[in-house]
Amino acid sequence: MWRVSSLVEAAMTLAALLVFDAVVDQVDLPWWVFTLAVGLHLAWAIVVPQWRYLVHRWEVTDTAVYTQVGWWARERRIAPMSRIQTVDYAEGAVERAFRLATVTVTTASAAGALRIAGLDRDVARALVDELTVKADAVEGDAT
Amino acid sequence: MSDGLPGPAPEINSADEWQRLDPLMLLVHPVRELIRFLPALIVVTIAGTASGEAWQLLAVLVPVAIGLARYLTTSYRVSEGRIELRRGLISRHILSTPVDRVRTVDLTSSLIHRVLGLTTLRIGTGTASTSSDEVIDLDGLTAEQARALRESLLGAATGGEEPGPDAATAPVSEELVAIFEPAWLRFAPLTGSGIVIAAAAIGVSAQFLELLGVWDQIDTQDYEALSGPSLPLLVLIPLVLVVAVVVTSALAVVGYLINNWDFRISRRPAGPGGDWHLVRGLFTTRETTLDADRVAGVSLTEPLAVRAMRGGRLSAIVTGLDRSQSGSSTMIPPAPLTTVERAAIAVLGDPEPVHGIVRPHGPAAVRRRWTRALAPTTLLAAMMVALVVTGESKWLLLALLGLPMAAALAADRSRSLGHLLTHSHLVSRSGSMVRRRRVIDVEHVIGWNLRATWFQRRVGLTTLVATTAGGSQAVPVLDIPEQMALEVADQALPGLLSQFLR
Repeated sequence: MWRVSSLVEAAMTLAALLVFDAVVDQVDLPWWVFTLAVGLHLAWAIVVPQWRYLVHRWEVTDTAVYTQVGWWARERRIAPMSRIQTVDYAEGAVERAFRLATVTVTTASAAGALRIAGLDRDVARALVDELTVKADAVEGDAT
Repeated sequence: MSDGLPGPAPEINSADEWQRLDPLMLLVHPVRELIRFLPALIVVTIAGTASGEAWQLLAVLVPVAIGLARYLTTSYRVSEGRIELRRGLISRHILSTPVDRVRTVDLTSSLIHRVLGLTTLRIGTGTASTSSDEVIDLDGLTAEQARALRESLLGAATGGEEPGPDAATAPVSEELVAIFEPAWLRFAPLTGSGIVIAAAAIGVSAQFLELLGVWDQIDTQDYEALSGPSLPLLVLIPLVLVVAVVVTSALAVVGYLINNWDFRISRRPAGPGGDWHLVRGLFTTRETTLDADRVAGVSLTEPLAVRAMRGGRLSAIVTGLDRSQSGSSTMIPPAPLTTVERAAIAVLGDPEPVHGIVRPHGPAAVRRRWTRALAPTTLLAAMMVALVVTGESKWLLLALLGLPMAAALAADRSRSLGHLLTHSHLVSRSGSMVRRRRVIDVEHVIGWNLRATWFQRRVGLTTLVATTAGGSQAVPVLDIPEQMALEVADQALPGLLSQFLR
């Protein structure tokens, strides 16, 4: 999924460059700019998603949720079950093509949202239900 | 949740009925609108009465009509543990919030309000919504009404003993923590607020001058005659700088005075657990009350210049208030460090997080401070040297001055960096230009983020972030060694982290 996203992004950059070239007459972009752009994006599309996939982890226990995401900057987030405020389930356009979904767990802090991207749709649905039940079981207003 | 207040709360007289704001408010809006339209009015008058007087009449009537409509359509009530506000003429808006979610209550009175004995009451509930439509503010209560409402709201919010109907009039025990002293003014010029005010003033006056068409009248020849040959550039530039410094300092002092005149912070009722009560302002007075249970921690900030004069300021990390509402969370404006620390200790109820020596993060973190400060400046300096060698102006060598400055910065930054975990608080200190000591109650930590870039992982460092629902939403502990981070997080909230990371 990430690979497709970056491929889409690459195509869009290329299109933007072409349009730019066509519109602005004075600036004549040499051919190597295009080659460079295409090459960079291809490399990006091959390496980064693989890297992301290797880093990507998530885990849910009775008391907390844990995620690990990123590639260059790696971020691990832990939120206790008692502080969960909302559980979001979303399917992006690309994700739907692959029957995947993203689950976002937010806490009262704007800095503490946990995103689990690229889950299988059924797994994601089950996860949402599980989290909702567990978060519900805890008293308090979660701040 | 708990609207279990015994009986239909005797909080406010006739609590269950919709109440209007004070009729005197009818005076406030027109006056305020008039002031807002004043430049336009002046222009109209100056431009001559060629267009007739109807326009000027309209300019007076419209604000009056708006004020009247607003008064007639706004009403509020407190009932069944909820506070509700109803307003709007064309699109009706009813806001309703549970009383026990009230975090802060602000009373703001502008000069006009004060003349009429009115005030604006604003309730902070920690909503994520930023739309001004969804803020509960009651503009135009009498001062006593507002105070009574405040007592009842916060009394219910803390779930403490029910305040009687005469809670407002009964003397509440009060413990004064800090009070404004004229000596604090010496910090004002160092805060940079003067520059902001000056910039704003220049902007406004330039616009005004343009409005009057002054720019067109200024002749370039006048300008040349003015600057003339009388002052060489070498004298003129320092002169302008000195004048600018003096003017901005003066503005900063005035701004500080206007904002913080008669500043007082106290705890009511006295003793631990009392709500924090702040009063300040010269023309517009502001009274802020913070629910003590919601104060998650404090942030002690020392900008470089203020730190050099042994000063600092203090703000509270209040659950449900984010940075955009920082006005509500300032606890002490720039003031001597001893005062600030005393207040911080009073808020935290424990001197250790404030005075405790922070634990440094080891050699790897120090190295990182140095590389981060020196690498860009070295690159810049090298480029400049190369340019000078190839025959550019020698002035570019000034960039070399950046090197010792960066070194000093790095040394200071590594000295500042550290953390401390007491039995109840997590302390994080970092920064040099603006040194911050953030203290947060571990009970208010609602999660951990551990973030490490490839560079950080290579040397075994990570940035531990304690997320919270208040302030800037997070308390970062920069570049802490991985193992130390896990220990800290595990000690602060036992068992949470260890189940994932061993």
